[in-house]
Amino acid sequence: MNLLYLAYRNMVSKPLNMVLSLVLLVLSVSLVTFVLQLGKQLNGQMDKNITPVDMVVGAKGSPLQLVLSSVLHIDVPTGNIKLKEAESIKNHPFVGSAISVSYGDNYKGYRILGTEPGYLDNYGVVLSAGGLFQQPFEIVAGNTVAKKLGLQIGDRITSSHGLAAAGGEAHDDHPFTIVGVLEPSGTVVDQLLVCDLESIWDAHAHDGGEHHDEGEELEDEEHDHEEHDHEEHDHEEHDHEEHDHEEHDHEEHDHEEHDHEEHDHEEHDHKEHEGGQQVHDEANDTGHDHEDHDDELEITSLLVKFKSPLGLVQLPRFINENTNMQAALPGFEIQRLMGFLGSGVKTINGIAFAILFVSGFSIFISLLKTIRERRQELALLRTYGLGTRKLLFLVLFEGLLLALIGFWLGWVFGRLALALASGYIESGYGYVLQLNGPDLPELLLFGVTLVIAMIAVLLASTSIFKLNISKTLADV
Amino acid sequence: MVKTEGLQFKYPGGQAFEFPNIILNSQEHLLVLGPSGVGKTTLLHLLSGILPASSGSIVINETEITALDRKGLDLFRGAYVGLIFQQYHFIKSLNVDENLRLRQNFPKKTMDKERRFAIAERLGLTPYLKKKVMQLSQGQQQRLSIALGLIHRPQVVFADEPTSNLDDFNCNQVINLLKDEAELCGSSLVIITHDQRVTQHFSNQIVL
Repeated sequence: MNLLYLAYRNMVSKPLNMVLSLVLLVLSVSLVTFVLQLGKQLNGQMDKNITPVDMVVGAKGSPLQLVLSSVLHIDVPTGNIKLKEAESIKNHPFVGSAISVSYGDNYKGYRILGTEPGYLDNYGVVLSAGGLFQQPFEIVAGNTVAKKLGLQIGDRITSSHGLAAAGGEAHDDHPFTIVGVLEPSGTVVDQLLVCDLESIWDAHAHDGGEHHDEGEELEDEEHDHEEHDHEEHDHEEHDHEEHDHEEHDHEEHDHEEHDHEEHDHEEHDHKEHEGGQQVHDEANDTGHDHEDHDDELEITSLLVKFKSPLGLVQLPRFINENTNMQAALPGFEIQRLMGFLGSGVKTINGIAFAILFVSGFSIFISLLKTIRERRQELALLRTYGLGTRKLLFLVLFEGLLLALIGFWLGWVFGRLALALASGYIESGYGYVLQLNGPDLPELLLFGVTLVIAMIAVLLASTSIFKLNISKTLADV
Repeated sequence: MVKTEGLQFKYPGGQAFEFPNIILNSQEHLLVLGPSGVGKTTLLHLLSGILPASSGSIVINETEITALDRKGLDLFRGAYVGLIFQQYHFIKSLNVDENLRLRQNFPKKTMDKERRFAIAERLGLTPYLKKKVMQLSQGQQQRLSIALGLIHRPQVVFADEPTSNLDDFNCNQVINLLKDEAELCGSSLVIITHDQRVTQHFSNQIVL
């Protein structure tokens, strides 16, 4: 029979008191650990993802969107740019490496990224099996993609139009062959299927040569979609002619991939389909006939790594002012984004810490109540030979036990919440959250929790020093 | 064994008591009689060192407890003094056996299981060892408090009105239990009561 056991028995003898004290503590600890972990892991992943890219050059629109879409692959692109224009930047003396990326198709929800082999080098991703893509329609699978979809080397996959899993029109006539699988890298590459640029151009090049391409600057954002729309429609048109598809097919399709804006287009398009696609609608007249001329080849964006820091100062401004393209700096944009989110995180943390202090207060009240109720027992223990200090330890143990259990439960709940969030975030954004052991900030939080419990105990136990054994024991 | 001299106590701003000198040899028993309000419980608290005397001295087992500091007093009480209260006091979150173990444990650890079981057996508590103390009947609680007063083989046991609220049969039984246990432990017994039924059991008496 030691004091620790007695403290434990005292604690569990009043389960309602205990639960009340614990609930607040668990709530605050789980909130704080959850937010800390979420922020840390998302930040870490984002940092990893944006480090290889100093600047993104893409179609005009929101710079944040450009970064989110072309670097982090969690948003839709702002549009396309001419390969020829992009090439001109490649040759700028301040530019170290510049890698073209083009995308707009998916396989079962995973993006197919047309790019150059240098893209993988920049992320430091290496093959775990197979080889790199050598020719069009050879493709390597990111580690997560391969694992999740069970892709093997030699598998043939058919890409679907658009960036979301469902509803995209399938490019049946251009299947890809898996030639390699990548090592896990903890970057966005894990979530991608990577092929060369020609594959992307070719996959979308089978839609006849009816359209003219000009004025892509007219449709800044959604440009790409619209463009793809056209392509789709083109495909559809073809399909129409070929397979007599029903109209609502198109509608569904468009819906899922694109915004309201496009309803008009759809209608137009439908009419067009009927009319045989000559009366192509006004705003959408962009070019897709990639094969027509090399001049007209397009990419979604250009990922630039500077050779000289001067590039950072001069190039973005130059591009934004003198070209039809825009330049965005991932580091800056993500910092800006985190600035928006940061206040939210701060608020949640603030609330969590407020709850932590309230829970400290509730432990204080609960112990104060306990000490009052057990005054006679404490006096009895004094007659058993326990000194004041031991009684203080008894109460301290009880308070610390509460804090310990509360922290542990809270930590576990925080991780459970993280596991839940991980499922959600992975399906939405392809980010996987790790369930790590306790890290330094959490240990600090543990310390804070213990200190708060200790203060609560000391404040609550002042009456122990003034305990009048004789009077207490004589009272009925 | 127990010796007091010129013992006085004055409640702050209230009643003052003066107590006759007591001399009690080892293994002798003493009955302190008196009506309510003459300071019987006060005397018991003074003797057991849970209330500091205003003046005078108390010597128990060669130790002048009136000279001890609080910590020394706690330790002394834990080792040499047994207390049986008028109102039973237990640790409510522990069961009967754990209460006995707790009393055995302080101030020095003695995990004497046999002693615990023997005293429980003699006092008829064996079937209730795993029970919560609040589930015991009045009589069982009384016997448990006797066990708690004696389990650590104190030099002297102070019992405060141990027979109030008991019928004649139980009164006799409790006094016999107390005397028998005290004999077995080699303890002195000091009983403080207003209950005249107890007088026949003790030859050594003082009246307040």
